[in-house]
Amino acid sequence: MPRLLASALQLRRDPRMLKLPPYLSLLCILAGVAWLFLLPLDQYSRRTYISENALLPGQVHTYFGGSDQNVFRAYKHEANELVGKSNAEFNDKLEPIIKGIGLKTARQNFTYHAAGQTFSGENLYAILQAPRGDATEAIVLVAAWENVKGETNRNGIPLALTLLRYFKRWSLWSKDIILLITPDSIAGPQAWVDAYHDAHDPARVSSLPLKSGLLQGAIAIDYAQEGRFDSVHIVYDGVNGQLPNLDLINSIVNIAGGQMGIGVALQEMWHHDNGYPDRLRTMLRGMLKQGLGLASGPHSSFIPYHVDAVTLRPFGEGWQDEMALGRVVEGSFRSLNNLLEHLHQSFFFYLLMQRERFVSIGTYLPSAMAVAINFTIMAIALWVKSGQPAEVTTPKSKTETPAPATAERDLFLPLGVVTLIQSLAIIPLYLFNHVPESALTPLFLAFTLLNTLLPPTLAHLLATSNTTLQQYHLIQSFSLLLLGMFLSSLATLNFSLALITGLLAAPLSFVRPYRSTAAKVAVSVLLNAVSPTAVVLAAAAYWGTDVTTVLREAAVGWHVCGTYSPVVVYPRHAQ
Amino acid sequence: MDGAKVTPGRTAGLYAGAAVLRLAIFTLFPGIPDLLTGRVEISTPVTSFKRLQEGLFLYNHNVSPYDGGVYHQAPLFLPLFSLLPSSASLPIFTYLLYIAVDLLSASALWRIADSGESGSSALFTSPRREKRWSGFVIAALFLLNPFTVATCIGRSTSVFTTCAILHAVAKAVSGAPFGAMVALSFASYLSMYPLLLLPPLVLLCYDRQRSGRATKSMLQFAGTCTATVAGVLSVLFQLSYLLTGSWEFLPSTYGVQLTLSDLAPNVGLWWYFFIEMFDSFRSFFLAVFWLHLSSYVAGLTVRIRRQPLVVLTLLLGIFNIFKPYPSISDTSLFLALVPLYRHVFPLMRYTFVSAAVVLYASCLGPAFYYLWIYAGSGNANFFYAITLVWGLGLSLLVCDLMFAVLRDEWEVERPEMAGKEIRQI
Repeated sequence: MPRLLASALQLRRDPRMLKLPPYLSLLCILAGVAWLFLLPLDQYSRRTYISENALLPGQVHTYFGGSDQNVFRAYKHEANELVGKSNAEFNDKLEPIIKGIGLKTARQNFTYHAAGQTFSGENLYAILQAPRGDATEAIVLVAAWENVKGETNRNGIPLALTLLRYFKRWSLWSKDIILLITPDSIAGPQAWVDAYHDAHDPARVSSLPLKSGLLQGAIAIDYAQEGRFDSVHIVYDGVNGQLPNLDLINSIVNIAGGQMGIGVALQEMWHHDNGYPDRLRTMLRGMLKQGLGLASGPHSSFIPYHVDAVTLRPFGEGWQDEMALGRVVEGSFRSLNNLLEHLHQSFFFYLLMQRERFVSIGTYLPSAMAVAINFTIMAIALWVKSGQPAEVTTPKSKTETPAPATAERDLFLPLGVVTLIQSLAIIPLYLFNHVPESALTPLFLAFTLLNTLLPPTLAHLLATSNTTLQQYHLIQSFSLLLLGMFLSSLATLNFSLALITGLLAAPLSFVRPYRSTAAKVAVSVLLNAVSPTAVVLAAAAYWGTDVTTVLREAAVGWHVCGTYSPVVVYPRHAQ
Repeated sequence: MDGAKVTPGRTAGLYAGAAVLRLAIFTLFPGIPDLLTGRVEISTPVTSFKRLQEGLFLYNHNVSPYDGGVYHQAPLFLPLFSLLPSSASLPIFTYLLYIAVDLLSASALWRIADSGESGSSALFTSPRREKRWSGFVIAALFLLNPFTVATCIGRSTSVFTTCAILHAVAKAVSGAPFGAMVALSFASYLSMYPLLLLPPLVLLCYDRQRSGRATKSMLQFAGTCTATVAGVLSVLFQLSYLLTGSWEFLPSTYGVQLTLSDLAPNVGLWWYFFIEMFDSFRSFFLAVFWLHLSSYVAGLTVRIRRQPLVVLTLLLGIFNIFKPYPSISDTSLFLALVPLYRHVFPLMRYTFVSAAVVLYASCLGPAFYYLWIYAGSGNANFFYAITLVWGLGLSLLVCDLMFAVLRDEWEVERPEMAGKEIRQI
């Protein structure tokens, strides 16, 4: 054993050890990506299962239907007349209808300002007090007048009203049921949930006059399609990549698929043959959505408050009618009604690849961590390299007198440069969040230009001010260290964003001070191609214009803060 | 940077810059002070500004401040803060007080650095002492350290302890034993644990006595010092008694630290351990933990007798890891003293590793706390794991510094071994 240790120590001194890190770091990146592509295989993913036994999904008879069909038609007739009318008008019309069912109602006004636009409206909500409960817990049924695509929720609103009227007749509820009708799918639910938890800004969002207990779950109905449907699409992405508890999704899949015989789709995969390509596609779409971290439906606002929520959106041509969707909601509410405590058993971090297949955090996290570790490896390697004396010493003399073999490092300039560059990121963060919408595009172009010009300028400045090779190494080392650190922290909060950023920033690990002009130009072009502005241009459809609520914007913005700046730092080394 | 000439202008510039930075954060981002005050990394049950407000409210309404079971800080804070205008209506005065305390700490640190005690004490002169940073650099490193700034903005009352400890050391190196003992008594009165610094501080005072009126006998000197501390402490206790009208403050302040009755999470290692503990073992492990913490004092004081300032630095580092309610304020105090040993930095072996570990921990800590408390998708183990990593990083730094100092001493004894690799047998 001592001999083994001694030889290991000898190996540490071997100059070949320093050649290794770039390959090791490349290996990390490749392994991270390869790992990701293994996940859809049967051996690496798992079948879903219900962890919380109290849910008992699909174990009850659902009775919604029959005469409720007539009620639904009546409500639909009323709702159709309101299409195109103002927010206040349809609330005025709906409030007496809900009061007629025998429920307490209340309204809430909200106004948000973001990107120079104003989002305002009035939420209407009603509380069905549980016959067997004590108003300490509640389940929410959400129906928005407009879905995220801007279509009118023609069938969803009447269906929600019919369901509420039907629920009122039952005596088995042990949790209050709240019906929430919002004018839009993002700002309205956000305002309501904020106010429900007293986390709102009273100047912009009014407080709720009527409240119930702790929210245990929420289901949103987004049924804009006319006529019968074939399958249900479950939308589950929350703000900032947070997800609802997997048990909720499993229960609905179980009720819709198992009990009612309705197909279930995820991540806009309308046809899924459960083969490898479809699984992979579903997973990648889920990751992209998670990485963007935007709200994807009325349910998204609930998830940050630890209220598990999903949106149900019927699609396709089939023979299922509105009553079938109603029964799915009824079954899910009966399951949620059974809960003795908040959903906590199952996973909060997962990637779904088919309605009955998922990978949990323990399985997928290594890929993001491998990508993050590559930066740390390079940072350590560069640190060691920077500590080596400038003159070449023979390996033999090194083993004998290793202590003075470490050169003194001048830390102040590298630390200063890295801190400065990192803090520069606050400027775009602030500007993009505060300028009006019309100025966003010019501002963006200006930043693209600046982003392209800044690194060469900085590099030129450094080159003219006698920066030593050691200092270059140290600057790169610190930047990579910080990048690796931010990414591994981010991976615990939003895995997909960390992985995407990590992969985009991967070339930064391998940048060296180049001598030839051709290499310089090639590397600059490559780095600019993966720089945040270029990526945003490529994905312009997703980004930039749809900054809606200030809260979401800030949340997304803050994520950008951690990831934007390190990427800006790098191209400098191309010089 | 090393030999930069320090003019009065630069001194004023540094202090003004640090003050403006803090004032700018206070005034431009009014949400940040309250945000940081709520962070567990900054505010512990025994230093939190929020709890101070609670105690102050009770005190101003003629109720015993310890009645609510929330306030665990020294009674003398109450008249000090009730003299200031309320921090809710006119917060600027509170801000100015905290900024002034930070600047006072920095000036004490400056004096310690300029005394050169870290490089050449009465009994030992390091051959490497030429390579050192000026007081300006060391004060700047303290004032601009993000941990120090965050503590100041979070208005944790541990800044007063930090200031008292630094002044005690500064008085000691400038040959004023009485002043040092008074400052140490204040520090102990505020936070209790600085009392453990008494032995090395007495040695430091003894070594640095002014030649004119030096006391020859070590025992006599130590006796006088201890008596001074005891005297000042009893005066402070008496004052506290007069202020609050009962001795209730003793169990509520020092008792809480001794028995860890408030188990709010913090960056230390105690809270989780005592949450998990069965009640029957509690008193035993409390004794073990305290014994462990105080056992370092005797050992280090004897082993590094020739450099008492090193003992003080290492002890502050160890307390910062192992004391019952540590916060990043204690880290900032330890990190303030580390740059005094610039001359042994080349002997340290794990600077990069420990710096990276501490950085990682300070980045992952808030993330895991968020996962546990807000997102609800993590649990207490997440945060505890990261506090373990934090403790690991800091203990690496403490060990490394200790190694470097001992090696420096050893190379004086064995000049032929200078520069050779040592191997553990």
